[in-house]
Amino acid sequence: MPRNISALIAHILVLAALLTTFGCMSLKRDDSEGQSKFNGELERNVTLRILENDTAKEKGYFKELLDAFNAAYAEYGIVAVDANMDQYTDLEQDGPYGYGPDVLYQANDALMKYTDGKHIQPIPVEQLDCYRQISEEAWNAYTVQVNGENYVFGVPVNIQGPLLYYRKDLLPENWETQWDRDKNGVPDMTEYWTELYAYSKEIREKSNGAKFGYMKSLFDTYFSSGFLFSYGGYVFGQGGTDTSDIGFSAGEARRGAHVLRQLASAMNQDCIDDTVTVNAYSMLGNGTYFATMTTPDVYTLFVDELAKEYMRTQDLSEADAYAKAEENLVAADIPKLPASGDLEDRDGETVDSVMMGGINGYAVSAYTKAPNAALAFVDFATSFEMISRRNELLGVAPARADVAEKVGGLSETINANLEAGHIAVMPSTRAVAQIWTPTQTFFSDLAKDPFRLPDEQKYLSDEALQKGLETVDEQIYSAIHTLN
Amino acid sequence: MMKKSDIRLGRAFDTTVTYLLLLLVAFVFFFPCLWLILASFSSSGSIYSFRGFFPSGYSTESFKKLFTDTAMYDYPKWFGNSLFIATMSCIFGTLLTILTAYCMSRFRFKSRKALMKTTLVLGMFPSFMGMTAVYLLMTQFNFINNHWGLILIYTAGAPLGYMVQKGFFDSIPSSIDEAARLDGATNFQVFCKIHLPLSMPMIVYTALTSFTWPWSDYILPKLLLKTKDTWTVAVGLMSLGETEFSRFAAGSIFIAVPIVILYLFLAKHLISGNVAGAVKE
Repeated sequence: MPRNISALIAHILVLAALLTTFGCMSLKRDDSEGQSKFNGELERNVTLRILENDTAKEKGYFKELLDAFNAAYAEYGIVAVDANMDQYTDLEQDGPYGYGPDVLYQANDALMKYTDGKHIQPIPVEQLDCYRQISEEAWNAYTVQVNGENYVFGVPVNIQGPLLYYRKDLLPENWETQWDRDKNGVPDMTEYWTELYAYSKEIREKSNGAKFGYMKSLFDTYFSSGFLFSYGGYVFGQGGTDTSDIGFSAGEARRGAHVLRQLASAMNQDCIDDTVTVNAYSMLGNGTYFATMTTPDVYTLFVDELAKEYMRTQDLSEADAYAKAEENLVAADIPKLPASGDLEDRDGETVDSVMMGGINGYAVSAYTKAPNAALAFVDFATSFEMISRRNELLGVAPARADVAEKVGGLSETINANLEAGHIAVMPSTRAVAQIWTPTQTFFSDLAKDPFRLPDEQKYLSDEALQKGLETVDEQIYSAIHTLN
Repeated sequence: MMKKSDIRLGRAFDTTVTYLLLLLVAFVFFFPCLWLILASFSSSGSIYSFRGFFPSGYSTESFKKLFTDTAMYDYPKWFGNSLFIATMSCIFGTLLTILTAYCMSRFRFKSRKALMKTTLVLGMFPSFMGMTAVYLLMTQFNFINNHWGLILIYTAGAPLGYMVQKGFFDSIPSSIDEAARLDGATNFQVFCKIHLPLSMPMIVYTALTSFTWPWSDYILPKLLLKTKDTWTVAVGLMSLGETEFSRFAAGSIFIAVPIVILYLFLAKHLISGNVAGAVKE
């Protein structure tokens, strides 16, 4: 190849590289992004990419929703399709380049972090069918105040509050005489933590440590922080907005920490990390665990595992196994705690449990080319019919009061818990990302404590527990404010 | 003087100890593989229903599900995507690496040393350092959700590791090139007719490494492939649910199949090439 041709090609390549680099450097946001684009005029012949969660897809609900919406909006040429992405896709990363979904279904803390960069847009929620059916507490999770005005960035779909899952067929035969002191027909070990603790110790003792009563990964902040909240702790002050006021050690939160330590002593070392979170489906299924705590959206996963176990061990048909699994797997409200913070105190006063929860919902991407069609989808997906169907197929607790009232049971209880303040909704602020590591480190250390040698145990006194919690608060404060 | 029987005893002892050590090391390396293989045949599907280390029951259900139950986890599609990306990257990457190594070994030109030093230094930086830049560039080229974007990155990055191949070309005496040129061969003919046949072991080695990198890479595909139908096996397997351990194990076992086949086909070239090289020296 002659030298001048080689030189020419080399220069063209260098130029292409420079142009691309400068092209990337000059990437800028459209000024109109983030401003309200809802003018009520439906865009025609558009395709909406919808991000839903995996369980909704697996159980066939998402397909039903898409089919119903597409049939209803066929005359406008609006087609909703599965965004076909990971359910935890980060809009912040992919949205600005046009690769994100138009409508997203995620938890409130995940969605609300997008408000910082205006990646999702405020929604005129008053126009939606569900507006009056959703409680103020649920809307608050999606509300941001700017210059004295409230903007709502998401539409609540279901409430994620922890529930106690237990196996009815693993209750002791004599529970009605021995474990129902208040004679209300409900086993005491599912009503009071003190009784569940006593029953857990009994199971472990009788089985020589092969079986357990209540099991949970105690390092998990989502489930463990509720024990602190029940005694006056909180995440951030001013209803979750004041990130300078961190309250994991507030009030008598140390009593909750003491309860956690006692619970750990009736488990095994799997409670220190996330082992129990992962194995609970199988272990509850095969009867190694009697109970665990988790959210309503995984109910079907527990049923699947229990049904598989019945098919394997009892030679039941699939239909019979599922029927039996649904009958024996009970999801109950979280038990009451002893006011004293001592699980040995079986006769003392009790207090209601306050657990950390979240509100899963829909948000509309700021990068969508069809905001009005996206809003129509959100309106359709949060209608009475679709939310009822969602509850029917997925067993989740709907945020719509009318659906919760219709289905009753735990859905109604969870709604009532939210309104009564028994569910502390995860703050909808980016700073919440800083709470996980310090709290998990503390909870993990606390769960490890009963398994240490007697002279090495760290959390035997109230002072030690209080100091541990105060350290957590300090660490979170530093993480949020040091570089700000 | 040692007696013959003492020498035999010593050798026997030496052999026994060596074999015992080798068996121990082999067991340490093989046990995780064996465990994963057995786990992939677990009938329960969960890691937590094992009896001790091993599953309580066996079935081929996980492998069946891997290829038939594709509604949520489309393993065949991911497998096809990985195969396409790895094969293309292997072909283009090998070609570029061999050409780069040959140029650096056989030609003397301005800035050659500087270029070699630069590539050596660049090769020391971990590839994920440039992730943000790569992502931005790929968005500009519209290469997000596009397998050719990944192929471009793997192929363009492959020649940076040309040093081993250059070392091999350096070991081929330049007198062979001179003899060929005296007979009227062009540079291209020297490369194709003399160096390529002599370099078969190095080409095979390069092809194998160029295939295995994209085949098992997770970070780049995770960054650039957003929709599930474009995912590779590594990204797809990481998305499996908490209760899908057997399927994960089955997928991990099956992922080794192309590499094993490739190795079986190419191994003879590796060996015969080595021998050929030795004789020519």
